Amino acid sequence: MRRYVQAPGPIGQFSELPLLQRAETLDLIYVGYGLLIVALVLASYLLGAFGWLPDDPRAINVGLINAAPLTPGHALGTDFLGRDLQARLILGIQAYFLPGLLAIAISVVGGSVLGVLAGYRGGWLDTVITYVNNLLDSFPRLVLILLVIAAFKPDIYAIMVVVGLTGMPETANLIAGKISFLRQKNFIEAAHALGLPARTVILKHILWLNCRALLVIQATLGMAEAILAETSLSYLGFGVQEPTPSWGNMVQAGANYFLQGQFWPSTAPALAILATILGLQLLGDGLNNILEGKRRR
Amino acid sequence: MKLSAIRPVSRVLARELAVTALLLLGVSVVVFAVLHFAPGDPLNVLLEGQSPRSQLALGAREALGVPHTWYGRYAAWFGKVLHGDFGSSIRTGLPVLPELARVGLNTLTLTLGSLVLTLLVAVPIAVHAAVNGDTAGNTAATVAAYIVSAVPVFWFGYIVVYVFIHKFGMFPLLSGTAAKQPHAWLYFLVPIFVLGTASGTLAELIRHLREELSRVLAEDYIRTARAKGAPVWRHAFKEGFLIPVTEIMSAKIPFLLGGAVIVEQVFNWPGMGRMAWQAAQDRDFPVIMGIALVAAAFVRLGNLLQRVVFTAVNPRASRE
Repeated sequence: MRRYVQAPGPIGQFSELPLLQRAETLDLIYVGYGLLIVALVLASYLLGAFGWLPDDPRAINVGLINAAPLTPGHALGTDFLGRDLQARLILGIQAYFLPGLLAIAISVVGGSVLGVLAGYRGGWLDTVITYVNNLLDSFPRLVLILLVIAAFKPDIYAIMVVVGLTGMPETANLIAGKISFLRQKNFIEAAHALGLPARTVILKHILWLNCRALLVIQATLGMAEAILAETSLSYLGFGVQEPTPSWGNMVQAGANYFLQGQFWPSTAPALAILATILGLQLLGDGLNNILEGKRRR
Repeated sequence: MKLSAIRPVSRVLARELAVTALLLLGVSVVVFAVLHFAPGDPLNVLLEGQSPRSQLALGAREALGVPHTWYGRYAAWFGKVLHGDFGSSIRTGLPVLPELARVGLNTLTLTLGSLVLTLLVAVPIAVHAAVNGDTAGNTAATVAAYIVSAVPVFWFGYIVVYVFIHKFGMFPLLSGTAAKQPHAWLYFLVPIFVLGTASGTLAELIRHLREELSRVLAEDYIRTARAKGAPVWRHAFKEGFLIPVTEIMSAKIPFLLGGAVIVEQVFNWPGMGRMAWQAAQDRDFPVIMGIALVAAAFVRLGNLLQRVVFTAVNPRASRE
């Protein structure tokens, strides 16, 4: 039986069982798979950052193009120039890892500030912030990014600022909703009655003690969206350019061979994207089900 | 519908229309601001080879009737937009609006078609899952929905294209002339199928509708309806079906439009997304600004419809 805790509903009905025992098996599998993917991405990022690659990702070998996986010397095969796919997949993480972190930092921090201002202060500020949120939500993200590309020809970090900004409304809405939920518990008033300053109430009691799970979940899902944005853009030919590998431009580079029946060079990066985005989404939703006790939209 | 139900709807409609107008005004400011801060002044091209003294630039502005201040320029631009003048494409020299109307219609076909497909697939699965509870099949369907929503839409497009070339001996890439070829409708349906399946909307609709419907089916008033033999479906329809479906559909329009950029690229579909891609390549400001405005208007319109449905179903919401 799933526990639905709705904002206006009865409060304080969380089970007293330890976290792991009341979590559903399926959610634990989700989180387990997600953590595995996060560990893999992190390890691969570090390998790429230090240059510990299985092969030179730029070494062209015309004699061995579009090789299948498990070819001697190339565990995951080679691409249309005979470059090692495993090395390129590992190096492709560089394209989104730090930019993605920037995006989620902006959406989480900015969203928290907006959410606290809207939920804690309320009044006209709430109206203004709701307006800004709706304004940011009006643009399809990719269209807004293309507009910014047309205007500035920016690098991937600037694009990720746009991704972060457009991610703020969702976090802000969740934080504001959480605050109104806490208000029903007379929780914030109690903190004020104890004479705690607003800063302590906001930072410690609201954000740290009550919203940290939510923020971690938002960061996880935000990373999935940042990866989706980066891979889509490099697929479209913006952002990271050949010969620097990105999972998106690798799919694109293998496309012609794909239609001739050489599936692998395009499929390997596509599967990497699939596995990673799936892992982050399952991690976010699984954590949400376990920690927040409800499904997200 | 009773009169008592119509009145709140009209009141909400008026309010939401005002909010929508305000938001679209804000959208135009954002679009203009992005352009305004873009490096490079078109007048520099005009003054090329001459000494870049500000006096000269001012004189050129004066002669061309370009307002000096940013708000003057915004007002001039926005006034033209309100009259349907989005300027002319820098690349082709054609006026933007007729082009935009032509490709916008194609994108509308693509996105609405994929929404219909999503509904046709997602609703039976979600309703079945909600009515039958947590069975192994439902769990499998949920996991499958997660996986499908994580598939990169461009790669999925290639798979479909490949299958069509090698299994059906046809090349489902749409060009301007495809409508004259045999099986034109198939050329039309393939991109719709790809966008409808792989855009993530499918999975979210299944999940959300299933959660909401099973929540509503567990409510007391449904139990009462069931106990007295009233049709359960009629009682659960509004809250358990109509609201979640419209919510997801309106929330997903931006994602569908974003996905359309990629699908149109893969299938050479002559729509707004392809046009946006081309405009971003060429820094064709008037075109990309027009597309951003139209896309935002799509999104707001979807949101407006959702609010109207929500209020019609739940008139109490109009008093908030």
